[in-house]
Amino acid sequence: MSAITVENLGKRFFLKHEVQRSLKSTILNIFRGRTLKEEFWALRGVNFTVEKGQTLGVIGANGAGKSILLSLLAGTMKATEGSVRVEGKVSSLLELGAGFHPDLTGRENIYLNGAILGLSKNEIAKRFDSIVAFAELEEFIDTPVKHYSSGMYVRLGFAVAVEVDPDVLLIDEVLAVGDETFRKKCLAKIDSLQKQGKTLLIVSHDLETVKKISEQALLLDEGSLLEIGQPRNVVDKYIDLGIHKQEDLEVKEWGNRDAEIKDIVLMNRHGEEKQRFKNGEAIQIKINYDAHERIDNPIFGYSIADNDGKLIFGTNTQIAGVDIDFIEGKGSIILMLDPNILIRGKFYFSFSLHSSDHITNYHRKENWVYFWMEADNEEIGFVKFPAKWKF
Amino acid sequence: MRRIILEIYQRRELLKGLVVRNLKIRYKGSVLGFFWSLLDPLFMMFIYLLFIRIMRFSIDLPYLLSGIIVWQFFVMCVNDSLGAISGNTNLVKKIYFPRVILPLSQVLANLVNFLLSLAVLFVFLLFIRTDIQVAGLLILPVIVFLEAIFCLGLALAVSSISVYFRDAYHIVGVLLMAWFFMTPIIYPTSLVPERFFSLYLLNPLSSILIVFRGILFGTAMPGGPLLFVSLGFCVVLFAVGIVIFAKLEPYFADVL
Repeated sequence: MSAITVENLGKRFFLKHEVQRSLKSTILNIFRGRTLKEEFWALRGVNFTVEKGQTLGVIGANGAGKSILLSLLAGTMKATEGSVRVEGKVSSLLELGAGFHPDLTGRENIYLNGAILGLSKNEIAKRFDSIVAFAELEEFIDTPVKHYSSGMYVRLGFAVAVEVDPDVLLIDEVLAVGDETFRKKCLAKIDSLQKQGKTLLIVSHDLETVKKISEQALLLDEGSLLEIGQPRNVVDKYIDLGIHKQEDLEVKEWGNRDAEIKDIVLMNRHGEEKQRFKNGEAIQIKINYDAHERIDNPIFGYSIADNDGKLIFGTNTQIAGVDIDFIEGKGSIILMLDPNILIRGKFYFSFSLHSSDHITNYHRKENWVYFWMEADNEEIGFVKFPAKWKF
Repeated sequence: MRRIILEIYQRRELLKGLVVRNLKIRYKGSVLGFFWSLLDPLFMMFIYLLFIRIMRFSIDLPYLLSGIIVWQFFVMCVNDSLGAISGNTNLVKKIYFPRVILPLSQVLANLVNFLLSLAVLFVFLLFIRTDIQVAGLLILPVIVFLEAIFCLGLALAVSSISVYFRDAYHIVGVLLMAWFFMTPIIYPTSLVPERFFSLYLLNPLSSILIVFRGILFGTAMPGGPLLFVSLGFCVVLFAVGIVIFAKLEPYFADVL
């Protein structure tokens, strides 16, 4: 039996070209006979079902319609066309602590938030201790939540929401907050909810998590459903389409631009352009530059950072002992990572071009291009060490 | 209508929780806390009293204090309702529950305040030995009920309209100011010219106050049968408020 049935779902908004709606401007526009309305479909023609007890991961770029879909499922928004059917009690884990009031204590907020999510006073009282224990807030439960750290806030929100004991739980990007320990705890809780046969719908930018915890994944792009099916395939498609830009690290760029790095091409050993690589596969990087004047003994450098911006490795032509006599005009230089020892995840390249004495910085661009690493085996981490076992 | 009432009944725990929250947060952190809801009208009374004495009107204390208390209930309901929906964006966008609970919980919280103020009024009246007509006390709940549904109707309309038009904040401020002077709070009704009196009674708050004082203090109740019509407006405005709210409610999450 399906827990969620969505048929031909569409949600239309009217974009108004005023930032501020006000009575005066509205009246003026009525008098002028102008209707400054533009139709915009945030979601259209979406069909899918989720079987009872299954977990559906929803992915897509910002503005793809993920949150609108959740709002329609939660019932806070009305569909413009089509229909949404959800069997059983729905609870939303959308923006944790949405109903918290800063001046009330943790205890008061648990009762209020529980009531908002549909629990009776007795039901909350019964669960109170386990909520507090899960949130690890025994000491602070009678402190106003405005004195809580953001981590404590999130823990409390999560603890209340999962105690609602819903049939269908909607989870919006909550795994992105909180520290690693709490994240693990959340994932463990999600796992136990799955085992209890709850139906889950999870929106997340964390593609690895989506792959791991969901039976089905759904890819939204600009309001339409692009793909639904095996999480692995859907995530691959998402990456291939290159529409997952929202979570990129900030690109930073500086230098005097006497010489510029124009663009970067990522290829495999055979010169085929790619953005996804397998562990051990070579990555060939073509750096196209344009030197507006003659520069003697320039140094090209590169570095790799992980998804959090943490530097993994960096070097340059000087360290590697490659002498470049001079550059002038357009040209390119090849960097070959062979074999690349990264395992899985998303990584970013930064490039630099500077003088041999490191004083003049011609061009430096950080987190410019990214690529994805994949591995078929179960090894963890992001670097594969060439290790051997002896017994 | 039946569906709404049923939904509210199902979520009565939430309603109760929100009423308590509204009462709690209003005075949380202040030293005198809840006493402020009782002190406020008393302070206002002294201020007006001073002003009125300077203006050389004659007005007696019970008349003035009852006016202030009835007015305050109304004005607090309207002011709170401005943010009832738009001040709870997070909740409205994220979680489904009958939206009407938000303005309703605020009106109920203010009603609790109002009833406490009434208690203070009666203590005060005993203190200064005013004669209260005991029969009037029996009709009083009807008047309180009429004012409550009038306030609720207005709160429903204002809370939903202000989601769409932010200008409502300013308009409401100006209207309340005018409304204050169109209601017999700090002056006797005898000051109102006869020929405007039926117009004057278009304001249900006037008739509420006239009847309120009439049944308690035995003051004159001008207007005769028109008073009943005026009180009837409370019910009409209540219905209008419900209709407006129901029309606008489905799109709150879209606009916020």
